[in-house]
Amino acid sequence: MMDVEQETTVNLISKDGDSFSVPLAVAKMSELVKGMIDEDAEDEGDKIEIPLPNVKSQVLNKVIEFCEHHLQEPMTEIEKPLKSQVMADVVQKWYADFVDVEQVLLFELILAANYMDIKPLLDLTCATVAGMIKGKTPEDIRQTFGIQNDFSPEEEAQVREENKWCEEA
Amino acid sequence: MSGNASGIIPLEEGWNDEIKAKAIDKLEAMLNGGLKSGETNMFGPREYVQIYTTCYDMCTQRSPYNWSRELYQRHGETIERYLASTVIPALRDKTGQGGTTLLTELQHRWGDHQIMNKWLKKFFTYLDRYYVKHHSLPTLSQAGLRCFRTHVYDEMKRETTAAILGLINDEREGQIIDKSLVKSIVELYENMGMGSLDAYNGDLEEPLLQSTREFYAKRREEWINDSTPDYLVKAEEALQEERSRVADYLSSSSEPKILRVVEEEILEKVELVLLEKETSGCRALLQNDKSEDLSRMFRLFQRLENGLTPIAAIVQEFITSMGQEILKRRQARLDGGEKDKNDDPKFVKAIIELHEKYLGVVKKDFSGHSLFQKALKDAFVEIVNKNVGSFTNAELMSTFCDRILKSGGEKLSEAEVEESLDRIVQLFSYLTDKDLFAEIYRNQLSKRLLNQRSTSDDAEKLMIAKLKVQCGTQFTSKMEGMLADLAVGSQQRTEFEQRMRQVETSLDFSVQVLTTGFWPTYKSPQVTLTEEMNKCMKVFREWHELKHQKRKLGWVLTQGSATVRGTFGKKSYEIQVSTLQAIALDALSGGETLSFEDLSQRLNLEETILKPLMHSLSCGKYKVIAKTPASNKINTTDKFTANAKFSSNMRKIRIPMASLDANFNTKKVEEDRSIAIEAAIVRIMKARKTLQHQQLLSEVLAQLSFFNPNPRVVKKRIEALIDREYLERGTDNPGVYNYLA
Repeated sequence: MMDVEQETTVNLISKDGDSFSVPLAVAKMSELVKGMIDEDAEDEGDKIEIPLPNVKSQVLNKVIEFCEHHLQEPMTEIEKPLKSQVMADVVQKWYADFVDVEQVLLFELILAANYMDIKPLLDLTCATVAGMIKGKTPEDIRQTFGIQNDFSPEEEAQVREENKWCEEA
Repeated sequence: MSGNASGIIPLEEGWNDEIKAKAIDKLEAMLNGGLKSGETNMFGPREYVQIYTTCYDMCTQRSPYNWSRELYQRHGETIERYLASTVIPALRDKTGQGGTTLLTELQHRWGDHQIMNKWLKKFFTYLDRYYVKHHSLPTLSQAGLRCFRTHVYDEMKRETTAAILGLINDEREGQIIDKSLVKSIVELYENMGMGSLDAYNGDLEEPLLQSTREFYAKRREEWINDSTPDYLVKAEEALQEERSRVADYLSSSSEPKILRVVEEEILEKVELVLLEKETSGCRALLQNDKSEDLSRMFRLFQRLENGLTPIAAIVQEFITSMGQEILKRRQARLDGGEKDKNDDPKFVKAIIELHEKYLGVVKKDFSGHSLFQKALKDAFVEIVNKNVGSFTNAELMSTFCDRILKSGGEKLSEAEVEESLDRIVQLFSYLTDKDLFAEIYRNQLSKRLLNQRSTSDDAEKLMIAKLKVQCGTQFTSKMEGMLADLAVGSQQRTEFEQRMRQVETSLDFSVQVLTTGFWPTYKSPQVTLTEEMNKCMKVFREWHELKHQKRKLGWVLTQGSATVRGTFGKKSYEIQVSTLQAIALDALSGGETLSFEDLSQRLNLEETILKPLMHSLSCGKYKVIAKTPASNKINTTDKFTANAKFSSNMRKIRIPMASLDANFNTKKVEEDRSIAIEAAIVRIMKARKTLQHQQLLSEVLAQLSFFNPNPRVVKKRIEALIDREYLERGTDNPGVYNYLA
């Protein structure tokens, strides 16, 4: 089975129309793709083309890179709550390096992982964002993600009051 | 994708233009158009991804444009609408046209629903991942299944259940039905429990059990007029059919329940009627050795709780009555004038055969089931302990062993000997008075050994080993001691022969040393021996004292034997006799005529011994001594002389003599019992210190396995032990005993 999956490839078509030829086993990391392939298990004749209209080529490239590596060296489960903000402390080096990217790309990876339903990738990217928030004040967080404070002083006081337990902890 | 300027998809636009048009309508059209068989790939990747993406987008748009709730709701409505508008009318349409028609339609619609449910789940799958989880809702598949349950299953189940039951009864009547159809509908019932079997159990199994009960109640009434074996054949077939029916198309969890109902109806309710049938019931089957029918009876009634008890009772009663017959036949033979002696091989063999036969029946037909083993045992305990005539069965059995083991008895091969002994030991195990058997057996064993009449040392050992297995070392230690004496004796004899070579004597002399206690006690009169004999005995005594200084030697002359040469006229004979006979012959060998009185004085023998002694020599088959007056009885006034006219065709003759000792000593048995009872009492009291009379009594009875003591005797022994201060009565409660260390 594994051999067949290694040999057979499918074409993943990005939003930009680029076609990525990917071994079946790699593509099947995506539950979305897997759900379609299983149905087609019988006809091996034609090349299967799977459009992914929500994923740009640059992102898809990165996703495929992740999936390929995951087959070689599966990612260890990320322990929660996070024991460190440094990704290298919670996951293998390759994965820590993999998410060491610009924020924009990181968010696009989250969306793609969610859309394509790739759990380990979603875990990794979300943990990375969580690490960026962990131990920071709201002001720091706003700065990190470029968020404007749209609370009125009264609203802010109220939210702080309600979430007092959180700061005490 | 209809991306408008903002990229936001409005609800109705997304639903109508994309989801409904491209997915739902197409799906329904395909279902209604009939699917080509095996066609599962209804939507290609391109079509599918488009629909998925639309749903994904509509579910991931920011509030207030997040349509998760609406899509989830419409997913359910879509299914409901399809079931109500298409499926239900189709099913209603097929109602009343026979079970198969309705079930076929249901099977088809259920299949369609599963396809529809699967595809809708795939389209809307993003809902399952977050919306359903966050709101703790049924998953899409569950929701779809629930729709089917509420809108189709609950609506139709009365009709479909009736249809299934109808088909099952058709099959029971021998018709061919579409099993795979029923199987697929049963799977539908199983699915409708949403992970439990509640729906199947309540909606199908329960009515099925009821209809099964009715069906077999009717069958029972039809079959009960058959003979018991015929009825049971049908019953077994029915159970087998029901079992395969469950395997064919019902839930395996139904098997025990259905079989239970069938067992109740066709077995439990008529068990006694079947067993008691005059000409074909259990007794008749036993009578006619209907092995196959009996084992079927066993197999079937074994299924019922306590189903075997009444059969075992009949078996026990039957075997007992067969045993009574044998006892009656023995009684009849004795009444008919047959001599009542301790040897009745006909009777013992009949009992052995009876036991052998029904042991076989129990093992084979009744699978060796413990109830039947007990029935056999109880029957034989009753038979074996019922004595007819003046000899106990214990004695008859021991004598039977004697016949097997002594030369000139039954002529059997080695294997036959072992088999016979095996069987007799089985009977022995039913005896209550095992100690009585042991006592008699020991006496007969001693005779065999001392008279060299035992055919095989191995067979003797084998028998003792078998008794040992049954009753333990204690039971056979004396017998083993007897055999050991003989083994040691044969070594010593060789040594002693060396010694005897240095002695000048005309006797060929040897001695067998017996250990006191192992052997029965024998009369040991102080008889006057010949000089030669005294001389040899002295040599032995001295030799023995040198070897074993601390052992006391006593002589049991009554058990000795001798071979003497007698010359009558021109012929001489080798005569095998006992030591006592030998000295009597010696006294008369000079040709003297001696009176009874003379002999009594010369030999120093009293009347009770001399009478049978002289009888053997002058009134038996070989009359080597002539007595006057000639008669078949010895009187104290008789005169004896050597019979010059004696002649025989044989050169070697053996002149037997009646035993001077009783076969066994009842008193000895009683004494041993007293000792055993006292030992048991002391053992128990030592462990328990204080006991009530009743408790002590029952523990004593439980400990004594070789006989069944009378409670009164036990009480006597307790009193004796109190007298000897082993025990005392409780000071405030005389019904309690204390152990005195």
